[in-house]
Amino acid sequence: MIDRILNIDRRYIFAVIFVVVVWALMADRPIQVPISSPVQDVFDFMERVAQIDDHPPTILISFDYGPGSDAEVQPMALALLRHAFSKGVRVAGMCIWETAPGLAKAAFETVAPEFDKKYGDDYVFLGYKSGGIAVVLNMGQDFSLAFPADAYGNRTDTLATTARISRLADFDYVITLAAGNTIDQLWVAYGQDRYKINLGGGVTAVMAPDMFPFLQTGQLNGLIPGLAGAAEYEKLIEHPGEATAGMLAQSWTHIAIVLSIVFGNVAYFISRRRDREV
Amino acid sequence: MLFLRRTFPLIIAFVLGSFGAAQYYIPAPWSQATFRDLVYISRIVWTFALFLGMYSLFSLHIGRMRRKQAGWGYSGLVFAAFGITFAAMAWNSGGLLLSPLRPTELDQWFTVRWMYTYVFAPCDATMFSLLAFFIASAAYRTFRARTPEATILLVAAVVLMLGRVPALAMLYDIFVPEFLRTDWLTSLVTDDVRQLTEWLMNVPNLAAKRGLLLGVSLGAIATSLRIIFGIERSYLGGGGD
Repeated sequence: MIDRILNIDRRYIFAVIFVVVVWALMADRPIQVPISSPVQDVFDFMERVAQIDDHPPTILISFDYGPGSDAEVQPMALALLRHAFSKGVRVAGMCIWETAPGLAKAAFETVAPEFDKKYGDDYVFLGYKSGGIAVVLNMGQDFSLAFPADAYGNRTDTLATTARISRLADFDYVITLAAGNTIDQLWVAYGQDRYKINLGGGVTAVMAPDMFPFLQTGQLNGLIPGLAGAAEYEKLIEHPGEATAGMLAQSWTHIAIVLSIVFGNVAYFISRRRDREV
Repeated sequence: MLFLRRTFPLIIAFVLGSFGAAQYYIPAPWSQATFRDLVYISRIVWTFALFLGMYSLFSLHIGRMRRKQAGWGYSGLVFAAFGITFAAMAWNSGGLLLSPLRPTELDQWFTVRWMYTYVFAPCDATMFSLLAFFIASAAYRTFRARTPEATILLVAAVVLMLGRVPALAMLYDIFVPEFLRTDWLTSLVTDDVRQLTEWLMNVPNLAAKRGLLLGVSLGAIATSLRIIFGIERSYLGGGGD
């Protein structure tokens, strides 16, 4: 019996997780999300950017993720855009990942109409640019060399959002939303370290532990980690969205996994005691 | 021939590698301008590498189809998907040659964006979401307190899983009756576990990650120096001559 529990068919575990997730997604129960300091830091810095008065505050969001991370990272993009637009901050979007432009466009098209923002004057989408490190270096040296035109063929020096930008450091804040290694291997190493930009990040939960060395050194001045981080940001801007809705499912799934670990260990110790007695 | 195959690439690697490192410390305009041009050239080279990737992908799948390897039909799908996406891209962006043919009703749905939204995005998200099920299964099977080290890992994982999401506070709200809610218990559930989670991330995790990072970085510097000075030559290919 114990051996059967220890070697349980994994399809039973899949079924339990499926039921828990579906049930939690359908349940409509409010959940309290406490705010962690790295998320608060991103929010606070954005507030400070919004108070700049000697030039129109402008931020850059780099969408470095694909549809696989849509559920975790896209709510961060929506929350950041809502925060920026609500404070009158201009936003330029770009992609280092070739699978990101569809998600970036969707984020702008969802949020811009909510605040009656106009393309070109309030936001710009620069599109995907191949080259990885070279793109970041080029932006640091000469923005127009990296992005002479936006994703729709408009010259960036004719658009109000990017007309003032001559190099990467001219952006008041750069936020990279990443599902891969673009933060540590591109933006920190070649953007923040070399051109001294103010850099914040949003990453999938599995990547978050890798970012803590950069948070401690200040190379990243804030971090939104995973769906929980996105839910925290939604709470800060007082606009609960998909991340907040997903927290119930994620919390119950974590509880189910922890219970399964406890259950597995109890069975393991019973089997070990039985083996010793034999 | 040996000069072109071995010596000349080594000279290029030495000159450009040395300059790439040195320019960081030379703020003179000529140095920065040269570096800017080199970076720009590298972006062009990067783009041509895409053709190399296409060639590699196609030759792999053509080989599988020729040999009628198991699952060779899926290789056909690679070509079909590439052809359809390429055609849609050319159609949607083809302002010059294709413009007399457009706009037509085909434009309504034969778009890269339609394929991205309704084919690629759901497939990619589905593949990634399966991870949750496999993680749950792996956690059940592997997180066993067999040794002291495994027990530490297990406890840290459980604390992080419960501390990173408001799971404990939610259970507390649902299952703990009002008369049992002392200040100590409330603080434990809402603050202490969360602080322990942050400590785990900020101290042991950070120490281990920083050690790894420094080790990898020193290794990268050593490898770069070996390439610049021609000691490491495996990138030249060929094996030996």
